[in-house]
Amino acid sequence: MKLEGEYIFNGTREEVWDLVRDPEVLATALPGTQDLQKISDIEYAGKMNIRVGPVSGVFSGKVLVSNEVPPESYTLSVEGRGAAGHGQGAGDVQLIDQGDGTTLMKYSGELQVGGKMASVGQRLLDSVSRSITRQGLETLNKALQAKGQAKTEGREVEYTPPSEAQFAASVVKDMASEVFSPEHQAVWTAVAIAIVSLMIGFWLGKSSQRG
Amino acid sequence: MTTQYVGKRIKRNEDPRLLTGQALFVDDVDLPGMLRAAFLRSAYAHARVTNIDVSAALERPGVVAIYTAEDMGDFWRPGPSLVPPPWSIEGVVFHSRTQIPMVKDKARHIGDPIAVVIAESRYIAEDALEEIWVDYEPLEAVVDLEKALEAGAPLVHEDMESNMASYVQQEKGDYEAAKAQADLVIERRITIDRGAAAAMENRGVVVNWDAKAQQLTMWNTTQAPIPIRNGVAAMLDLSENQVRVIAPFVGGGFGPKIMMFQPEEVLLPWAAIKLNRPIKWIEDRQENFLGTTQERGQIHDVEIALSKEGKILGLKDVFLHDSGAYNPYGLTLPLNTQTHTMGMYDVPNFYTEFKVVFTNKMITTPVRGAGRPQGIFVIERMLDIAAKELGIDRAEIRERNLIPADAFPVHQTVIGQDFAETIYDSGDYLPQLKKVKKMIGYDNFIKEEQPRLRAEGKRVGLGLVGFVESTGVGPYEGARITVEASGKVLMVTGVGTQGQGHFTSFAQITAGQVGVDVKDVRVVTGDTSQFHWGTGTFASRGAVVAGNAVNAAAQRVRAKILQKAGEVLEAPEEELEIENGVVRIADIPEKSITLGELAVLANPMRGAVKPGTEPGLEATEYFGPQYGATASGVVAMIVEVDPETMMLDIKDFVVVHDCGAVINPLIVDGQIHGGVSMGIGNSYYEQIIYDENGQILNASLMDYLVPRSTDMPPHIQIGHQETKSPLNPMGSKGVGEAGAIPLPSLFAQALEDALSDTGIEITEMPLSPNRLFELAQEAKTNGKW
Repeated sequence: MKLEGEYIFNGTREEVWDLVRDPEVLATALPGTQDLQKISDIEYAGKMNIRVGPVSGVFSGKVLVSNEVPPESYTLSVEGRGAAGHGQGAGDVQLIDQGDGTTLMKYSGELQVGGKMASVGQRLLDSVSRSITRQGLETLNKALQAKGQAKTEGREVEYTPPSEAQFAASVVKDMASEVFSPEHQAVWTAVAIAIVSLMIGFWLGKSSQRG
Repeated sequence: MTTQYVGKRIKRNEDPRLLTGQALFVDDVDLPGMLRAAFLRSAYAHARVTNIDVSAALERPGVVAIYTAEDMGDFWRPGPSLVPPPWSIEGVVFHSRTQIPMVKDKARHIGDPIAVVIAESRYIAEDALEEIWVDYEPLEAVVDLEKALEAGAPLVHEDMESNMASYVQQEKGDYEAAKAQADLVIERRITIDRGAAAAMENRGVVVNWDAKAQQLTMWNTTQAPIPIRNGVAAMLDLSENQVRVIAPFVGGGFGPKIMMFQPEEVLLPWAAIKLNRPIKWIEDRQENFLGTTQERGQIHDVEIALSKEGKILGLKDVFLHDSGAYNPYGLTLPLNTQTHTMGMYDVPNFYTEFKVVFTNKMITTPVRGAGRPQGIFVIERMLDIAAKELGIDRAEIRERNLIPADAFPVHQTVIGQDFAETIYDSGDYLPQLKKVKKMIGYDNFIKEEQPRLRAEGKRVGLGLVGFVESTGVGPYEGARITVEASGKVLMVTGVGTQGQGHFTSFAQITAGQVGVDVKDVRVVTGDTSQFHWGTGTFASRGAVVAGNAVNAAAQRVRAKILQKAGEVLEAPEEELEIENGVVRIADIPEKSITLGELAVLANPMRGAVKPGTEPGLEATEYFGPQYGATASGVVAMIVEVDPETMMLDIKDFVVVHDCGAVINPLIVDGQIHGGVSMGIGNSYYEQIIYDENGQILNASLMDYLVPRSTDMPPHIQIGHQETKSPLNPMGSKGVGEAGAIPLPSLFAQALEDALSDTGIEITEMPLSPNRLFELAQEAKTNGKW
């Protein structure tokens, strides 16, 4: 299975880089992430609550980072499992300076999902994972803008991330609109969620370590 | 004259209980102190299990025990081979690998059981499942049948050289010689994928061990209570007399419940004895997709050789059959395919060869149709393609090839699932075809109706296909009939019942001989404490095999009644008649005795019965046919397809069926309706999707679609034809699988006809609206239209 996508951040590559080093923002970018522990310089372990339709549960995940070229690119290998299923995959993330003050994040990877998440959650995986990914990235982008504004005005960052309830409501809304979307076919999976969140989580861990 | 009930359209005796919720199902059994079980099933299709940590789960309050393969000790052993390889086929290759009760080293399919939790409630048990931590080492899964046989493919069973479980080759006549004479040879690849049986009631087991009485009682949704009793007794080192298996009312069998010694029914008796507590396990719907056997996966490479007049000269079929991870059920399925690939046609030369392939998927065992729909699909599709190529009407090409009535019995050379040569015992196919054509209005539809509707822009198509069904195979069944002191009659048999109407059809047979009302016959099925011998309900054999045993027992009881009454009434037996529970002298009706009074006299409290006689008005008889009787049918439908959504509207549906002597036309109609419903699912909705890792992607009824009432034809016209089988005294043949068998062939032809403007050719099953849309688009793109 392939997982691919891109997202434009309203900030320079350096700002995005800085952003993903901000643990407070990252920790709340994806509600459901319970904790993330650094095991070694390149290995992290974390827990996340995932709900896909009738399937929900805590997933424990491990992230391995490789091919790191700061602040341009890195490769993540992710393994997650819980009572509701399991998944593993590897993805490349690229940050591209667009030269107009925006940064393009490109990500692509291969995923394999199994267990209840695959057998019962299948029909919802696509839309739920896309929705969560999009919202997670949007949350990050808003945090980026809030940070930028605070810097300009020389004050503390004031940013309230969406609550888990708001987040869930937004997933439902996205899914409702998905029903009418013509491009329904893309194959995504729940580990998309795990990968994206753990990608972000990875930077959280990394920045905590440096902080 | 004793009133006869066989052949009458009688309402079912069991329905008032079923319809008012008064019938006992396994889940209704509720015992004091009963524990619940839940199974941890492998989340990987193929993985080594290196460690199972149950410590956290064991700490959960309410958890009584957790067992893994390791805890089973010597009790852990692969299940018995349920069907041995067919010794009568020359050169048969068969590698037996039977299913295991729990994973010891390697999980071989999604859902392979890894541990069982026994707890105070199912909620607790399921919560505990989430706390068991299994260390898996995932292995590459064997999913694709062709890749599975390639050199270097990962092995499902590592002690084998390849994934080929079995190989069989059979030939009637000389196909290659026939091919050399042919005007036309057509080759096609035909694929059929898996579906679930999707019974309304999932599987379930309740076990009670009475330590003081040393008695084990098991309520089980099985189709084969007696073999289960025998097997469980052997496994637990108990006398068969110490084990009672009860298959109460069962909400649909459809085949998977004939699969025996499934992990649950092996483990739970063992655990119940160990814990000395009753245990209940009821499979839930998701678990049913992961834990219950499935069917139908095959890939066929077919060649048909014909004369330019459309006469079949020869047929060659080489196919792969998906066995799943184990093969406890032997070669029943692919042999059924082989013996049905000639259908109802005169195929003088037939070469057939198959390889059975082990894959990392659920085991395949019979599901209503059991290999037959695949064989019928092959021949019916090839005839349709031939008809198009030769420009012959599809009903006409069939008519030219039908086996004529004077050809029976037809020796087909090919050996079948009962290890004997397939012989079509009796039949008369041409009148069936003609009747169907008339009932569906074939000529009028083709000449007038279809052109008119097409001119209106409607995509309407007609399908018309035929099928045969081997039914009523041995070895035997038995029945015991007793006239009780109340004058009512008890009829007991070893077969279980899953909705076939046995409580009525067996009562009809009994009542007509013993001379009571159908409602006064109490029928008991599926309780091993009531009848000791038997095989099970499968292969459309209940009414044929057990039915004839009932008939034989009833005849003997009738003889006993007449003998005893003759003594009491002091009249010759031939002057007596039995009517409405009373035996009387035909000419002197006031001289009579009731069956109840006679039963009391036949079981005296004092005095002595005559030497050499038995007490009571009771008889036990067995019946086993020499070989199975072959039923047949022709079906037709008219369907309209919405070309945008590919949703179907079935306008008309006709079945003309021949199951020999009909016991109860109402029940036969019901079997056909049910079979048609299942066939609609097999054709257009039901497909289990496995991904490349052996994960099932649609293990819920949200995604696995079964036909709803709105998908059924508004009306099914049924025509009964009776060609009695010479193989049993009643002349009956089975009907249980009839409706399901021809439906994929019927759908393929009707949909091709409806979408003929696209040039679509259908060589796969099941379809779905999506898949049909894709095929139509592909056909258009390929410019076939």
